[in-house]
This record gives sequence, structure tokens and C-alpha cells, in this order.
Amino acid sequence: MSLGTSQTKTSLFIKHAIVILLVTIWTLPTLGLLVSSVRDKDQLTTSGWWTALTTNSQTEVFRLPTAEEQVAVADGYEIRSQLFEPGAKSRITNWGVRADGLTDNQPGRAVPFDDSSTLALAPDGTAVWHSKEKFTHTRGPRLFFGADYPPQFSLDNYREVLASEGVGRAFINTLTVALPATFVPILIAAFAAYALAWMDFKGRFFFLAMIIGLIVVPLQMSLIPVLKLFALIGSTLDVPSKSYVTVWLAHTGFGLPLAIYLLRNYMASLPRDIIESAYMDGATHFQIFVKMILPLSMPALASFAIFQFLWTWNDLLVAAVFLGQGEGKTVMTQQLIELLGSRGDNWEILTSGAFISIAIPVVVFLSLQKYFVRGLLAGSVKGG
Amino acid sequence: MLQQILFAFTAIFFAIGGSILFYVGSNLLIDKLLGDNGAPPEKQYRRDKLREQIRPWIFIGPALLFLSVFLVYPVFKSLQLSFWDREGENFVGLANYIWAFGNAGFLTSVLNNLMWLLFVPTMATIFGLTIAYMTDRIWWGQIARTLIFLPMAISFVGASIIWKFVYDFRGPDSEQIGLVNAIIVWFGGEPRALISILFWNNFLLMVILVWIQTGFAMVILGAAIRGVPEDTLEASMMEGASQTQIFFKIVIPQIWPTIVVVWTTITILVLKVFDIVYAMTNGQWGSQVLANLMYNEMFRNGNSGTASTVAVILMLAVMPIMIYNIRSARNSEQ
Amino acid sequence: MKTWQKTSVALAITAAVSSAAFSEMPKMGSGDFNWANLDKFKSMDLSGETVTITGAWLAPEDDIFRSILSHFEAATGAKIQYTGSDSFEQQILIDTSAGTPPNMAVFPQPGLAKDLASRDLLTPVSNNIKNAVLNDYAAGQSWVDLATYKNKAGQENFYGVFYRVDLKSLVWYSPDNFADYGYDVPESMEELMALSDEMVADGKTPWCIGLGSGAATGWPATDWVEDMMLRTQSPAVYDQWVANDIPFNDPRVVSAIEAFGEFAKNPKYVSGGVSAVGTTDFRDSPKDLFSVPAKCFMHRQASFIPAFFPEGTVIGEDADFFYFPAYESKDLGKPVLGAGTVVTVTKENKATNAVLEYLMTPLANELWMSQGGFLTAHSGVDTSLYQSDSLRRQGEILLNATTFRFDGSDLMPGAIGAGSFWTGMVDYVSGISAKTVADEIQESWDEIK
Repeated sequence: MSLGTSQTKTSLFIKHAIVILLVTIWTLPTLGLLVSSVRDKDQLTTSGWWTALTTNSQTEVFRLPTAEEQVAVADGYEIRSQLFEPGAKSRITNWGVRADGLTDNQPGRAVPFDDSSTLALAPDGTAVWHSKEKFTHTRGPRLFFGADYPPQFSLDNYREVLASEGVGRAFINTLTVALPATFVPILIAAFAAYALAWMDFKGRFFFLAMIIGLIVVPLQMSLIPVLKLFALIGSTLDVPSKSYVTVWLAHTGFGLPLAIYLLRNYMASLPRDIIESAYMDGATHFQIFVKMILPLSMPALASFAIFQFLWTWNDLLVAAVFLGQGEGKTVMTQQLIELLGSRGDNWEILTSGAFISIAIPVVVFLSLQKYFVRGLLAGSVKGG
Repeated sequence: MLQQILFAFTAIFFAIGGSILFYVGSNLLIDKLLGDNGAPPEKQYRRDKLREQIRPWIFIGPALLFLSVFLVYPVFKSLQLSFWDREGENFVGLANYIWAFGNAGFLTSVLNNLMWLLFVPTMATIFGLTIAYMTDRIWWGQIARTLIFLPMAISFVGASIIWKFVYDFRGPDSEQIGLVNAIIVWFGGEPRALISILFWNNFLLMVILVWIQTGFAMVILGAAIRGVPEDTLEASMMEGASQTQIFFKIVIPQIWPTIVVVWTTITILVLKVFDIVYAMTNGQWGSQVLANLMYNEMFRNGNSGTASTVAVILMLAVMPIMIYNIRSARNSEQ
Repeated sequence: MKTWQKTSVALAITAAVSSAAFSEMPKMGSGDFNWANLDKFKSMDLSGETVTITGAWLAPEDDIFRSILSHFEAATGAKIQYTGSDSFEQQILIDTSAGTPPNMAVFPQPGLAKDLASRDLLTPVSNNIKNAVLNDYAAGQSWVDLATYKNKAGQENFYGVFYRVDLKSLVWYSPDNFADYGYDVPESMEELMALSDEMVADGKTPWCIGLGSGAATGWPATDWVEDMMLRTQSPAVYDQWVANDIPFNDPRVVSAIEAFGEFAKNPKYVSGGVSAVGTTDFRDSPKDLFSVPAKCFMHRQASFIPAFFPEGTVIGEDADFFYFPAYESKDLGKPVLGAGTVVTVTKENKATNAVLEYLMTPLANELWMSQGGFLTAHSGVDTSLYQSDSLRRQGEILLNATTFRFDGSDLMPGAIGAGSFWTGMVDYVSGISAKTVADEIQESWDEIK
């Protein structure tokens, strides 16, 4: 059965158009980040990311080398320098010796540079500075020029992040935090959600109300009281107050309200008849739960798994407070922040780091998509 | 490195294994202890009744334990601290609450949060629903959905950089590196320091949350849409219903409870919005929100009394939503 | 500057690496460092002790710090773990309040340390360290006073050592740009204002000022106001202002704010116009000194700012500084504003005092001096070991200052110094009057009394 065959051409076209529009708007900002991550660091903060996609002109300054660089040639002395990186396709458009004399000279011919020398600047950035007498300066004078830069990208930023010390370990640490911290809350929430949806006991609605209310509790207010409690338990039982166990417990606790709420809603919408008939047939709630409800709830479980994984993968605060920050315990986000630097100016690290970090959640998202199957209930309603 | 991986595997195995063991174990245990053992019917009936009375508590027990420790206890602690002074040493009664209602920053935050509440949940739900429905049966639906999901996956640190590159402002003679200002200049206008524009800057920040939360709405609603029974859809198609009619008259009513859940969840998350405001403006230029105010009071001013007061007020604000949800849950049961 | 310039710079004789670059840490025994300082520690046996330290230093300072401590570890057998955090103030408050503190903490703002000391969350430091500071630091008494706070019972104790100091009364400029247009380095505030007017008359923009800093936006303006306070009032009045013995909206303070406004609120003076001041990030702002053509000529900022100059900028050649001058007409000498990080003990163990002693040795200071981005008030160091000439000059300003005052906002309580003073300054450059802003800051101070 496919709804598709009965769609008219126009309605299909409208559908595609709307989706394309929405997707473009949504990805445009992210595209900016992607482009920035392959750009040079100084460029990042001086020109918009869209300029990197086309040739753009810039005005720059270059300091000529000191007298040490001179070589003797037939009719005097020469200092050669190359303004651009080898292999760059940039082209000089004009140049001058003062910042406001940028359009004085064209590239190509040798031009009087100062009282005793001439300079020829070729369009490809080769500068030949010639003088009849020996150069004696200690500090090279500056050359101002305008140039056209064609789009140029590099993966250096990514290399820097991937090769940084401790990134492999941070990756494993984050997995160690994220996997149980995703699985355990879902397990606990699934049982609780089923109880709230289909089991009869005193205080059902009260607990449901409480759980909805708890979704709003701000994380920051919980940190100190709970940490104090852990410190107390830690000192009484002589165990460390911060460890992987504590961070799993914390993520579980903080993730439960939303999990229970979402799962309960889904389970409550499952057809009453199938559960009742199974109960009549003598199945216990536990069996009904494991054999029927869990499989039927896969879409909801998968949805929540995506979010919980995402939240724990990208989290920094809970890990910093409950796992501690000892050596060997840093998580990916912490690693990125450290690379970002005390001065917070290593934008290029952030841009590439953000994309490296996003890879795993996207993989999780895609792999859990197979649980979003349609028609799980097909046929199950009519007499099972 | 290898040791690290080994440790990780063992840890994950025990954590997950241990939890499963608890549930399976406890259920089997009560089945065994209170199961059929050949006793007379009335006794058996009572055993059954007892067993089934205990079972819900096994199901919900661990959850309640976690919630009490991690959330309920801090709620009470916050409540208590809101009546105490800045260091938590002396009782001050309602002084903090009086401070709050007289404080300009607090009142601005309340107004701003209200604006956020009106704008974000609605927009995110509408967009999420639209995308979820439209991408359901087109061939590149999965790709589209992944791209809409991307903002949720990007860590908050990455998101703040992305939007910095969108809202950035440089002086009128400089090249603009922010997308919005570049567009303004391209159309011939003067660039503005966008995030410092009073009142409108709030909307600029709200856009960011909608951008992120639409992915959330899309995933949940997408699952719900796929849960609509095929037969119902087939039947209405046979009867000649149009696409629009099917969407509004069949699909939406079927997934209405989920729409409410999504809208509720996003509303509650909006009340808590903190990271975005903290990173972009830190509440300056009239963009303060309650959660950021609470953070400032707690960690900048070192005042646990006022911080807790803001937290308590925040938590009270969610009451109407709670009541609405319980009512509709009760009604759907009757 | 593009990467090609790196090649040409590297070919230059003077191996002057930009002060932001991190060259190889000196190996044990190499160079002219005071390696003999380690002898005292070799005789200590602290094996088995672990010291955890947290602070706000991330890359590359964290690596430099760890490598300096590695010599201590090798000599004593103790193990030291340093972790940096970008939300240090939040972390340390959580950890100390909850009872899970690290052994030592490096505070970027003494005001926060003072706050924690008043809650008995810091451990007082031994007297012999205090005496070492008194004797070994230039103006030692000031450095002792800056780390002396009241505990919960109201008793004053000494809590920490200032390690790594910043100099703030500096104006950065490009000597080449000055030479190109025939500008001279001003020696007095009057000359500075005249120079700014001259630049405006030439059609140029004299200043770049940027207050942006994410959640900390506004702090650069507090430095301006503090510098202006020191140049318009006596040091005694400055101290009264910082302690709130005179109210924040005292006319003298308001006029210091307005003196700052003469620079920042003059649309002809500031690159990007007045509206750019509050939103330009402080890290992006100095880049305008080096743009072609230059968007501004002067940038008043602390000694750590070269880390944000474009890569390859050579301090002393491409960029240099001059002392932010004082008024010639007022008779207040040449006051110097500075700041620093204070290393404290949050959970004592056998090794914590030894670590402080180590940080007090000339060696521990010299090792970082050679890496750049570090100044010290320790009078026993060999100043020739500074990474560059420019740093040495800054170091000497520090050691020779007659009036030295610590950054006021760092000393004020967090609610003011990291709160209303910052936001007040942003409001000021957005158009609110100095008097209103000062009134509001005073109000917030009254609230926490």
C-alpha cells in the first residue's frame, strides 16, 4: 500500500518544494560552519564564510627580508622573496610602499623602490628587489599589495584536532559515559512508563504529575546537593565520590523524567484490547511487558535513545561535576574546550571539532532509523 | 589504550547487565515466592492479589528512587534555601521573594520567558510536524530528516559558533562576516549590532532554539505518524479523500496526544532555556531569562538564596502544564 | 599575516618567536636558569602524595604549567595533576561547596578567592610562605595584602601566592604605521588626546576598543575606568573605591567613567563607531591595528593581548607598546595597573605547601618567562631570561612601579566585579549616562551588604 501512487504530480511537486525550502533554511547556518572549518584561521575572523567559495580580493602587507638574505648578482645585489605559498593560485593586482599608495604600481615591471633600489613584483608573488650597492638594513621595509585569492581549502584544522593528544582516549571515555547513560535510563523509564500506563496502583496520577513537574527542574540547582550527598556516601563507604558510576547515576537521574513522560505517552496509546486479551490468557504484566510492549514500543524507545545518547555525548557540565576532571577522564567536549585554549580564540579548532564530534550522534541517528517502521500495529488490532 | 578499551567494555557490560538483572531477577523472585504452589483457591487468590500489588512497585521503584535522589531532594533543598540568606546560614522568610518581584532584571526575565513560551513551542512543533509528514514518503526523506536533525546533534558549543557567524556585526566600514548583516549590506542597508537591539534580539535568540528543537519534534512526530494504521489510511483513500483532508482529518487527530506531548516537552524545555542566552548575550540588552538569572545569582553573585528563589518560581510556572496533562491523561483513561 | 610570512620571519636572525608561540620547554640543566633552586626539593620525599590543581588555564598555558611542575615531581616524587576548565568559577564553587575540592586552585580573580575564604573553604597558607612573598616580591607587602582575607570568624589570614601577573596600563600600536604618518609616542595624557585629534584630522581612526567577551562582556571597560581612576585620583581614593568605602556613584568615580567615555563614546575616535564598542570581541579588536589600510592606530590593553595578534606578528617590530600615560597637569606620578592569578590551597595535604614554595622560586618563574606570556613580580629572577625584549621592559615596569594597584574589578565581590560593573559598562557605551550606570552599580553593591 503506498500513499505515493495516489499523489498527484502537483501535490508531489509542492511537497518537494516545501521540503527543499525548509531543509535549505535549516542547513544554511551549519553550512557556514562547515565551510569555516576548512578555512585558514586568520581568514575565519576577517571575512564571511561565503567569500571562501569564490575568488575574493584582499589587501595585505608583507615585510621584505633583512639584508642577510641578499645575494650578489651581475650588476649589484638582489633579495628574492615569495609572497604566496607554493602552489597557491593567488594573483597580485596592485601594490605600493605605503598603505594608502596601494594602487601606485602594477605587477610586472621593476619600479623604483627607494632612493637606491628597484623592486619588481610579478603577478604570481615573486618579488625581486635589486640594488646596485649592498643592502645594509636590519629590518625589511613593508610592501603593501592587493591580491585576488581563489578559493582554497585545507583539512589542517581537522588534522590538528584528530592528532591532538588524548583525543582517542577522550573518545573512548565519552563512549564509556554515553552508552550506559543511554541504556540504563531507557530501561528504568520503560518499566516505569508501563507501570504508569497499564498497571493499577495507588498514587498513579500523583506520580505522573510529579514526573511531568520534574522535567523542569534546572540542572544547576541539583548539582551541589547531589554532589554533597555523593561526597558523604563516598567518605562513609570509602569509595571515590566521583567516578564513572556516579556520572551514570547522574545522567540516569536527570534523564528519567522526560524519558518516562515520552514513553508513557506512547505506551498508553497502544490498543487496550491486545493487552487485556493477553492478561486474560494468564500472562503476567512482566511477560506482557517483555514480550509485547517492548517490541511494539521500539519507535518510542529508539526516539528517546537518540536524544539521550545525544545529550550525554555532548554533555560537559554533568561529566565535569560527577566524573571529575582527572587525567584520563576527560570527555570529548572537554577535550575540545581545552584545545580551544585559554584565550578562546582557536576558532578553527572549534569548527572542525564540532564536526568531528557530530559524526557519532549522526551515525546513531541513522542506525536507529530502522526502528521507525510503519505499521507495527497493522493487523494486531483486529482480533490479534 | 587497549587497557582503556577493555575497561570501558567491562564497565559498560556490568552497568547494563546489572540493570537488566535487577528487573528480571526481582520479577522472577516474586513469581517464585508468591506463585502457584498448590494452595487452596482463596489463599491463592490473595497471593495473586499481593503479588500483583507488589509488582508495580518493582516496575516503578528504581525510577522513583533515582528521581527522589537526583530531582526531588534538590527541589526541596531549593525550596528551603529560597527562605534562607545568601550563604544559607540564616532564615530570612520571604525577603528573597520580595526582592525578586521588585527586581527589574527578574521582571524582564519573566516577560521574556513568556515571549519565548508563545513563540518557540508552536513554531518548533509546526515545523517538526510539517517536515515529519512531508518527508514520510519521498525518496530523499531520510536525507532531509538527517539534515533537519543536524542542529540537535551539534553540541551546544558548535551551535553558538554557527550563530555567531550569522549574527556577527562589524563596523560600517568593515567587511561583514555575519550572514544577516552581509545580506542587509548587500541590499544597501546599514549593518546593525543585531544582538544588542532591544526587544528584537529576543526573537533572534528564539530562532536558534526553534532551529534546534524542530529536530526533536520531527523525530517524535515522525514515529507517531508511522504508527497510524495503514488500514485507516487505505480506507479513506478508497473513499476519495484528498491529501489535505487525510492530513487534517485523519492523521492529526490520531497523533494528537503525541502533538500535545511534544508541545508540552518543548514548552518545559523553553522555560529552562539557558545555554543560548548565556553564550550569545549573557542576558544583556534586555534578553535576560529566568534560568540565566538563576545561574548568575548562584555562581556570579554567590547568593544561593535568590538563586533558589528564581528556581522555585521557575518550577511553579510549570504547574498549569502539569495540570493540563494530568487532566487529559485522566480523560483518555475514562 | 599569511603563512608565507612565517618563512621569512623564521629566516630572520633574531629567533624572536611571537610571544604566543610555545617553543620547547628547557630541559633540566640547560640555559641560565636557576636549576640550583631544585636542590631543596630533592631532599624532600613526597612520594605517594598526589596534588590535584584546578585553574582557568587551557592550551597552551596548561602544558607549560605542567612541564614546570614536572621538575618538582621529579625532585620530590610527588604526583601533580593539573586540569583547566573554561568555567572555572562555576566548577570551583560547586566542588568546594559540595566538599569535593581539588587540593589547590588557581584563581583568576582574587575577589572570588576572598569570597570562598570568608566561607572557610580555603586553607590558610604557612607563615614562611608569607614571609617569602614579603621578601622576594617587589612591593611585597602589597602582594601579601592582596592575598589576605577574612575567614568566617572574621580573622585575617594569608591564603595564597600570586604566580603570573599581567600589566594593564599599556597601549599597543604598530611602530611602522606611526612612522608612516609621522606620529610620535605620547608621553602624557594631554599629548595622547592631542595625538588622537591629529589622527582624526588626518582622516584616520585612532582607537580600537572592544568589550565583547561572551558571558564576561564589559570587562575591558573596567580596566579603562580603573586606569582613569588612578590617573585622576590618588591611590588612597582608588583603594576606597575598590572597598566601597566611597560609594560607586561618588562624583570622582563618575568623572573617571566619563574620562573613559571621552575615548569610547566619541564616534570619530573609535573604529567601527560607538555601536561596535560593546559588541566587538576583545580578541578581534586588536586585529584592526594590522589591517591594510590600518583601521586604527592604538589599542589600550593588558600585556597578554599579543597572543591575539595575527600569527607571525613580532613584538618589538610589528607591534610595540607604550605606557598609557598620566596627566602631566595632575601630580600623580606614573601609576601602574596590573592583575594576576593567585594560587591557593583548598584541601591541604603534605605536598601543598611544598608546591607553593616551588612556585616561589626564581626557577619556576624563569621557566615560564622564557616561554612568553608571563610576567612576575619576583625580584630574584634573572630578567634577561624573558622571552623577548618587550617582555623584559614590561617586567621592569612591574618591578619598578612606584604606585602599583591591582585590577579593581578583580578585587570587588563577584556580584560587582564579575557582574554589575561589567554589565554597567556595556550599558554605558550603549548610551546610558555615567551617573545612572554608577547609581545602578552602587545599588547592586548595597544589596549584597
